Amino acid sequence: MTTTSTSPAVRARRGFHTRRWLLTLLTYLITAVFLFPLAWMILAAFKTEAQAFATPPVVLFTPTLDNFHRAWGAYLPALTNSLVAALGSTLLAFVLGLPAAFALAVYPTRRAQGVLTWMLSTKFMPAVGVIVPLFLLFRNLHLLDTLPGLILMYTTMNLPLVVWMMHSYLTEIPAAIYEAAKVDGASVGQEFFRIALPLSMPGISATALLALIFAWNEVFFALNLTSSAAAPLSVFIGQFKTSQGLFWAQLSAAATLTVLPVLVFGWIAQRQLIRGLSFGAVK
Amino acid sequence: MATSTPSTARRPGRNRSVEATRSRTAIWLLLPTIIVLALVAGYPLLRTIYLSFTEYNINTDPAPKGIGFDNYAFRLDDGTLSGLLTDPQWWQAVWTTVKFTVSSVVLETLLGLGMALVINSKFRARGLLRTAILVPWAVPTVVSAQMWNWMYQDNFGIISQWGRSLGLLEAGQSFVANPNTALGALVAVDVWKTAPFMALLILAGLQSIPSDMYEAADVDGASKVRQFFRLTLPLLTPALLVALIFRTLDALRVFDMPYIVKGNAPETMTMSIYARQQMIDNAQFGYGSAVSVLIFLIIMIFTVIYVTSLRVRFD
Repeated sequence: MTTTSTSPAVRARRGFHTRRWLLTLLTYLITAVFLFPLAWMILAAFKTEAQAFATPPVVLFTPTLDNFHRAWGAYLPALTNSLVAALGSTLLAFVLGLPAAFALAVYPTRRAQGVLTWMLSTKFMPAVGVIVPLFLLFRNLHLLDTLPGLILMYTTMNLPLVVWMMHSYLTEIPAAIYEAAKVDGASVGQEFFRIALPLSMPGISATALLALIFAWNEVFFALNLTSSAAAPLSVFIGQFKTSQGLFWAQLSAAATLTVLPVLVFGWIAQRQLIRGLSFGAVK
Repeated sequence: MATSTPSTARRPGRNRSVEATRSRTAIWLLLPTIIVLALVAGYPLLRTIYLSFTEYNINTDPAPKGIGFDNYAFRLDDGTLSGLLTDPQWWQAVWTTVKFTVSSVVLETLLGLGMALVINSKFRARGLLRTAILVPWAVPTVVSAQMWNWMYQDNFGIISQWGRSLGLLEAGQSFVANPNTALGALVAVDVWKTAPFMALLILAGLQSIPSDMYEAADVDGASKVRQFFRLTLPLLTPALLVALIFRTLDALRVFDMPYIVKGNAPETMTMSIYARQQMIDNAQFGYGSAVSVLIFLIIMIFTVIYVTSLRVRFD
């Protein structure tokens, strides 16, 4: 920017600095508020039960690893199940949903709107309302308490979201790009792999993150469709609560172990995600 | 797959047949999704609609018995109406759910928008915020509900201790146990948990707005506020609408968080908790299915209102 006189520019810059500091301060404040409950829980995981229930709350104490020792045995199988179910279902939801969203966005027929609404309608019924027919269906297909069963369930749960989100991203790609490709004689497959896929990468990474976390956190279907062999982490936590009574410190340790992979993944993903978001700008 | 002859675009006759091939391809791309959804989501849904017209106690009845619309409404011997549609407990649950949904979705959208705008601007510590805001949403609901439950606990819960020292609570009371503040306490948990979800979706939308548009607006001398309302908000609408629809659908069906914290307590009984109570606790499968069907219809009405009044465009 070229300025004729210096004083307004300096004043503007000073104002900008103050705003930036306020913003930074506000950020720390919001972050603290949002992270407090979690920090409080992780702290409790290292306390004894008596310390966890103390009034006023104990902040300084000698940390113990007993709670983690007790939770560890059941943790690893549940962690494996959660990882397989979340990653497998997200992958499958994209393998199925991305071509579907592409078809609806790039070749819209009169039925496209109906198909999208119909997909959404599978999310109108509460989970408890469909659980018994679903249980019987899974029993007949021998999918109860199996990982393929859980993957199928979570894929179904996330498919409408994947199709809707990807549809909204894919429609943002200017039609002229497809027209140009068509004139050059591109096939549908080429349009999909050469245009739609690379240009919707930011949308894919954001949507995949949503689908992963939805699958990771799901508890109702997991509780009803698995018992032991395929039980994911959400069931592992639940078992802790019912079999042990309300042992808060121990529950906190189990919960901390459940949250840990998400924290690690989230820390890696947010960098990738934002990079993907900013690189993939469509226009 | 469509052929890749380079000259098709110039010949209208060939062009039409290529278009037809493309449409057929599009259907094949769509079919796997439709089959999976029809099997795993569609079939149980139809089955539940069928069961809602039957009387079926899973503990005593060997099979469902067709009774028409009696689960919804039927006339007693003295001529008064009875059934689900006249059950005050059900309408109470509907009202509670609507209050919960409206307040949490409005707060989450505003907070999420604010967070997304802050993360999207350049300033110190944005990396920290980016990671931090994702955390509450990534914590499984079973964990976060227990965590908040513990913080709300009347004696040693830290929120109750703060409430007492601020003079908002009397000894032995808590925000979540008091029927007047319980729903608000649950909305707070839901906002804490789900505002990051909205922030993430809105952020993805913000990132796809080309920066040269802002440069052009700067050159034209448009103020930041004006830029937000004239440029950011309209361009953000598609992403915002999808986020709003999915969020509203989930809020209307909310079950696990309020159930873990409050169980079957009437002041926080949502539609889904009522359905579970009828189906599982009371073993009334037909009646519970009728509840589920009504929830389905209510959510459908909400969606139609959204899609028409906010004019979601599909192409």
